[in-house]
Amino acid sequence: MRRAVLPLIPLIFSAIAGCTAGSGEGLDVSGRPLSEGGNVPLAPTLASVQANVFNPSCIVCHSGANAPQGLRLDAANSFTNLVGVGSRQDSSFLKVAPGQPDQSYLIQKLEGTASTGEQMPLGGPPIPQSTINFVRQWITDGALPDSGGPPITPPVVVSLTPAPDSVLGSFPADITAGFDQDIDASTINDMTFTLVRSGGDNTFSDGNEESIVPALLTLSAVNPRLAVMDLSGVSAVEDLYQVTLFGSGPNMILGMNGVALDGEYSGSFPSGDGTEGGDFVVEFEVQGIQPSLASIQGNIFGPTCSVAGCHSGPSGPNLPTGMDLSSENASFSSLINIASFEEPTIFRVAVGDADNSYLIDKLEGTSVQGSRMPLGGPFLDQATIDVVRLWIDSGAPR
Amino acid sequence: MSARIVITLRLLAVLLLSVLVLHQPAVAEPYLAIQKGLKCGMCHVSPSGGGKRTAYGNIFEQAEAAERTLDMGELWTGELGKYFAVGADLRGGWSQVDVPGQTKISDTELEEFLGYVEIRPFPRNLTIYVDAKLRPDDPFVREQYVRLSTADDGWYVQGGKFFLPYGLRLQDDDAFIRQVTGINFNTPDIGWQVGYEQGKWSAQFAVTRGSAGGPELDSGKQYSLRVAHVTNKWRVGGSFNFNDSKFGDRQMQNIFGGLRTGRVAWLAELNYIIDDGTPTGQRDSLVSLLEANVMLKKGHNLKFTFEYYDPDNDVSEDEQTRSSLVWEYFPIQFLQTRLGYRTYDGIPQNPAQNREELFLELHLPF
Repeated sequence: MRRAVLPLIPLIFSAIAGCTAGSGEGLDVSGRPLSEGGNVPLAPTLASVQANVFNPSCIVCHSGANAPQGLRLDAANSFTNLVGVGSRQDSSFLKVAPGQPDQSYLIQKLEGTASTGEQMPLGGPPIPQSTINFVRQWITDGALPDSGGPPITPPVVVSLTPAPDSVLGSFPADITAGFDQDIDASTINDMTFTLVRSGGDNTFSDGNEESIVPALLTLSAVNPRLAVMDLSGVSAVEDLYQVTLFGSGPNMILGMNGVALDGEYSGSFPSGDGTEGGDFVVEFEVQGIQPSLASIQGNIFGPTCSVAGCHSGPSGPNLPTGMDLSSENASFSSLINIASFEEPTIFRVAVGDADNSYLIDKLEGTSVQGSRMPLGGPFLDQATIDVVRLWIDSGAPR
Repeated sequence: MSARIVITLRLLAVLLLSVLVLHQPAVAEPYLAIQKGLKCGMCHVSPSGGGKRTAYGNIFEQAEAAERTLDMGELWTGELGKYFAVGADLRGGWSQVDVPGQTKISDTELEEFLGYVEIRPFPRNLTIYVDAKLRPDDPFVREQYVRLSTADDGWYVQGGKFFLPYGLRLQDDDAFIRQVTGINFNTPDIGWQVGYEQGKWSAQFAVTRGSAGGPELDSGKQYSLRVAHVTNKWRVGGSFNFNDSKFGDRQMQNIFGGLRTGRVAWLAELNYIIDDGTPTGQRDSLVSLLEANVMLKKGHNLKFTFEYYDPDNDVSEDEQTRSSLVWEYFPIQFLQTRLGYRTYDGIPQNPAQNREELFLELHLPF
């Protein structure tokens, strides 16, 4: 039997020899029909970088719903996702820093000099340096979007952060809207890009809505396809929020061609119904942490601290289980004016004094003893810790 | 009948032929499982394969996979007591890539250093598991989850970060079936998984963020289902994955199988992918793999692999293939070598799709 099977291997593989590679006839370098745009000569332009780098080498992975790290590099998304956007792998760099190729994480990944992760394309041959040099030059020249006359199609929305219908654990620092083409900066203002909260009833039609006044509302200085609403200083309130980008009415967002936004949103990007005009209206919800024991218990102590084997009780002298944070009552009993085992001169929670509460030291990593909590991370962001501080400073009420 | 349909039918025929007609089995890095007729979870902590080896997996590697087993006293199991187990994988080597029209590129590097920790507070029921890249310039936690199991491991539920259950979990992340589907060792996701491992059945269902390792950007989830029927000589399974994304949904489905015919372990997988998130609207693609592993003698495996990728069913002449011949040699325990040649064939306009690779890899599994 074995002798009979071995010869089948070449037979099987020859059977599939019919599955040959394509001849490439009628296709560009990316394997797309020439009718979709065709080959573009190497040049320091986005169109050329898209056609000669992103399309043939990157989008086999970096496109669609399963794009690694959510980084989509297809033509509709590459500029918006790269230029002026921070790297997730190394937050000290922008993916593309206009004018600064050496400070652009994209270049570091292509050339294999990034501090973390593998050289791109992953598993493939590196892009020739002669080709990367065109990407460098495009960045040196300011990483501008496609040159040429403005498109005659209406602009559409291709992304929004936070995402439509998302539920957030904290109030966002900003809202960014990405478009498929350059936007007339003069049309990004508080009448065309608005944020409203429902007033607590999750409806936007009964008159109790509250308009949010942002700290700044502008088109990104380095990416004319990205509108940014800076929410610094805006009070975080748990509520349902509605974002509107106007493509109709007296004040509209316009492309550089003067054509109004095609904004209708039906659940997926890009927006639009194919004709000029129409508002982009979506909602997101903030279920942030509040400075109350119930909220802190539900958002921090419960899911983060009292997992099995950690601060899960029963209460007693043995750490970590003995510092029982498994319920509101247990947490209150374990924390309020209770001396720390590790640092007995300090209360875990000194009522009204967050700066002298050992809980804060442990969360912020400033304690003399032991490790920062949650043990092994990920650690709480400072905004979340500040909510705990606020609860303590306000008397740590039950 | 269009050429595309003919190709599709041919692939299906080959798959069915390898899985059913020859009627003998296969196991993949999975291939080792097929050669032995075992489930993935017999040798790996993950029931769908990959990551830390179990005590049995370590013993198998030393006693059965290696050509010679040097006397080192007792066998390494990774078990450091009832509650604790560790493991590691170190991979490095040399490779040469020849892209038409470009200078050949040679590279020698430490590719991967993985460490595993398994903590079992309640050895029969509760496992805490971490799988991390330890190379200083590439730190990354690949898996980090807690699993609650029934005492017989028949059912389990796990929450955290983990590799998604889908198809054959090949070690080669660059294989078309892993690269194109976007489900590989580089894209673990965060969520929950329920599994069933009973008798000849192995099944996993996961609900995860759907962001391929990135932060959650929408309220949509990714749903992954993998079901396999495993016998001593053959196995067959199917997977379904749906990623509900604001950036365009992706639906993937596959059938996969394994078959052992004497010394040959066969593997096959056929995927059909429907993408809504492309600039030109919906795009359907086809990607498949057929692999034969010939066990020349103990410690020597010769691997033939043929892969086929049609990026867009509506576009003709854009298909790509990837063929590999790899000699895998386990001279002694804890040491595996791979010497391989791989050739890509694609459209002539794109030199990278027509490259050749030669590689030598050293793998130290512990």
